[in-house]
Amino acid sequence: MLKTQNFQDFRKKAGQAFDNRVRAITAGLGLKELRAVLRGDPPTEKPNPRYKVHTTSFLFHIRPRYYEKGSTILTHTFRLGFFTSFFFFVELITGIILMVYYTPSPSDAYPSIQALLSSIPFGKMIRDMHRLGAEAMVIFTVLHMLRTFLTASYKKERSFTWLTGGILLFITLMLSFSGYLLPWDQLAYWAVTIGTSMADAAPLIGKEVNLLLRGAPDIAADGLLRFYLLHVILLPLGAILLISIHYYKVSREHGISLPAKFEEGNVSPEAKKEAKRRLDFLPELFSHEIFLTALGLFILVFLIAFFYKGAPLENVANPQQTPLDAEAPWYFWWLQGLLKIDPAATIEGLLAHFGITIELSYILPSKLIMGLVIPPLMFIILLLVPYIDRNPSRSLYKRPVAVGIALFTLLIMVVLSYMGTPEYGIEKPPATRIFQELAPEEGEGPVHLIPYDQLQTGVYEVNKTPLDNMCPDLDFGCPELESTFEEYSNLVNDAAENGEIVNPQAFMIVEDWQQFLKKVTLRLGYTDPQTGEIVTPTPERIVYLHCNRLRGKTPVLNPLDSTPICEPVQQ
Amino acid sequence: MSQRRVNIEIAIGIIITLLMTAILVVYGMNEKQRMELFDKQEKAKAIEVGAGLFATNCSPCHGIQGKGVEGVWPPLNDPFFFNGRLQEVGWTGTQEDYIISTVSSGRLVSTRPDKYPGSGKPAMPAWSERYGGPLRDDQIKNIAAFVMNWKATAGEVPEAPATTGPPAGTDITVELPAGDATHGEQIATRDCFVCHVTSTAGPAWAATADQPGIGDRAATRIEQADYTGTATSAEQYLFESIVLPGTYLVSPFQNLMPPDFGTKLTLQDVADLIAYLLTIK
Repeated sequence: MLKTQNFQDFRKKAGQAFDNRVRAITAGLGLKELRAVLRGDPPTEKPNPRYKVHTTSFLFHIRPRYYEKGSTILTHTFRLGFFTSFFFFVELITGIILMVYYTPSPSDAYPSIQALLSSIPFGKMIRDMHRLGAEAMVIFTVLHMLRTFLTASYKKERSFTWLTGGILLFITLMLSFSGYLLPWDQLAYWAVTIGTSMADAAPLIGKEVNLLLRGAPDIAADGLLRFYLLHVILLPLGAILLISIHYYKVSREHGISLPAKFEEGNVSPEAKKEAKRRLDFLPELFSHEIFLTALGLFILVFLIAFFYKGAPLENVANPQQTPLDAEAPWYFWWLQGLLKIDPAATIEGLLAHFGITIELSYILPSKLIMGLVIPPLMFIILLLVPYIDRNPSRSLYKRPVAVGIALFTLLIMVVLSYMGTPEYGIEKPPATRIFQELAPEEGEGPVHLIPYDQLQTGVYEVNKTPLDNMCPDLDFGCPELESTFEEYSNLVNDAAENGEIVNPQAFMIVEDWQQFLKKVTLRLGYTDPQTGEIVTPTPERIVYLHCNRLRGKTPVLNPLDSTPICEPVQQ
Repeated sequence: MSQRRVNIEIAIGIIITLLMTAILVVYGMNEKQRMELFDKQEKAKAIEVGAGLFATNCSPCHGIQGKGVEGVWPPLNDPFFFNGRLQEVGWTGTQEDYIISTVSSGRLVSTRPDKYPGSGKPAMPAWSERYGGPLRDDQIKNIAAFVMNWKATAGEVPEAPATTGPPAGTDITVELPAGDATHGEQIATRDCFVCHVTSTAGPAWAATADQPGIGDRAATRIEQADYTGTATSAEQYLFESIVLPGTYLVSPFQNLMPPDFGTKLTLQDVADLIAYLLTIK
């Protein structure tokens, strides 16, 4: 039996030993102190052990010792930089989990994604997080950059930090782009094919660069492996290196900039002093970071569970069939828009107004200039902003030119992005355009979204079949079939009114094709107004619709989610 | 940052972390159902894609509805294909494997040369790109999923009731008995629809953008200057087109139609068929 005295002695010693182990792990913070840090309490010991941590612990030495209070005002930073790196870590962790299930080969990549979605619990959530996180990272990187520009936080000692940030923007975009190919679906395959084909335009080395990227004249097994390795090794390593440099500059060298008003504005000395008051990393900044992390994760999970439609997975890549609307991810639309401009034709057109006829297309090759000269030029200018803009003022009102240029550039990017969408400036034969509107080759259109039980068999002819009460035999009617047919009628009649097609004869034919399978044919016979001849073969688009398809993908926890109405597929 | 703010953050942080955990738990409980649903949808998608591939690659021989052509190419939607075919060829795997294997590598010679000789040599070409064909493995799997979907309805396809009587022969001047358009439509669906599906409004005999249905067309064709046949009426023109398909070809068509309908169809069948076709104006 232990005597009371001895027991207390033992307890004290054990407690001491435990505390020591904790201190070894936390680089100097005892149990009590740890609790105080997490609660946001003042230090429990003297000298303040929280400063020591920054020299004894690797992970803490890369964190800031303090930030000035004024620089942490929410409306100054909006925590954009924090969330950019937050999403980088989300990508890193979900990416490693995805790597477990993914196989980078053309025959296995797509099935491995299908398997991830069909037989791995939380597989869809991990994939959605990775996808949403990637898009969020692009958004936050751009917003962070915009904020830095508007608050003029790139000046003087922060010039180099801006430069590393610019390179990080490039790496972020490349990470997104290289990851785009990996699911090996139609969307991925063709977006990347078009993206890499830009390299072709480079003089002398274009073909070789393209070959280096794709591994073969067309993207195949070699190309996929190259993009995979870029995506999971080279680019993340580059990002980690650049983030380290970028972050270390902020955390240990110059800190976050103060809002301009505290530096050059007309504020009281007390306010200035208060703005410069130090907020220690432990506990203030640290607890705030934990809070922001919880907030970020919560929003991400919440969005995925209730609102996000899910990362898209189109049909498996088919190198033999170019989809009509091959589309880059939205953050590259501006580039697609640029490529649609032909500088030679534009200048020729302009000069023609003054009666000068000149042939420029061989001096100004469109793809080379718009794809390989202008974008890098824009990027270099972006990187060199702090070295070009020598105006020492930081206040918005004292740098109207810089802010004006920034807003103008933003506007241009929006316009270019609009021009980059498939809606703009791509001429399609009228029938193809109408079909694509109603039943796109990839993704879902109105025809796909007609509920299976409304697909009443029959031949419906535009301008002949009445638009209302199309299904008198269905007691629930067929509003979606009717509205789709009406849309079809309107598209055809509009095209006829615009003179794109003459004598249209448009059909929508619904047939029973197999058990739980309907065939919908859109057929549009017309006379070409230019040639005056009937277009042959008659344009048509055939869609097969299986009853078990849950169209208009709904999120997992959406209460509207319903199970398909048919029997399971017999196998 | 004031102590108060830190406290609020701690409180909110704990609440949202708990909320997030709750969402994850509910999400996780739903996972089994979601995965089943996804699986079901992928199978449905395979059938949809397979239907399109079947229509472009397989239907020229096996028919758009898999009925095949009697005496040449075997049907894929009859009960025997799903119940007796595996035993007949001694296949030990699943029916789906059998389809995948056959489609991939084709057939050098027919296993039933008397009944279904197929296209000659080979009886069926190899379709997998591994063996020189045009299709990838995933596409062949989709075709197999589509063909397998006939299993439940195999044998249910309505057939035209068989008629007995003398064969039609090739003399188009024979007087036809009174035709039954309803039976004629069944014959058209059974025998003609395999190939005649190329016009704007469905089967080839329907009205299209630029011409009326076959009923009216038949009457005007024989008056055309380039008409090379011997028919003198719409009935005779249709009769001729069925039993002597090469006599007159409308540009740009080629003569790909089996020449033996005169021996396969009875006179009554032909009369019914013509009666049906003449109703299509």
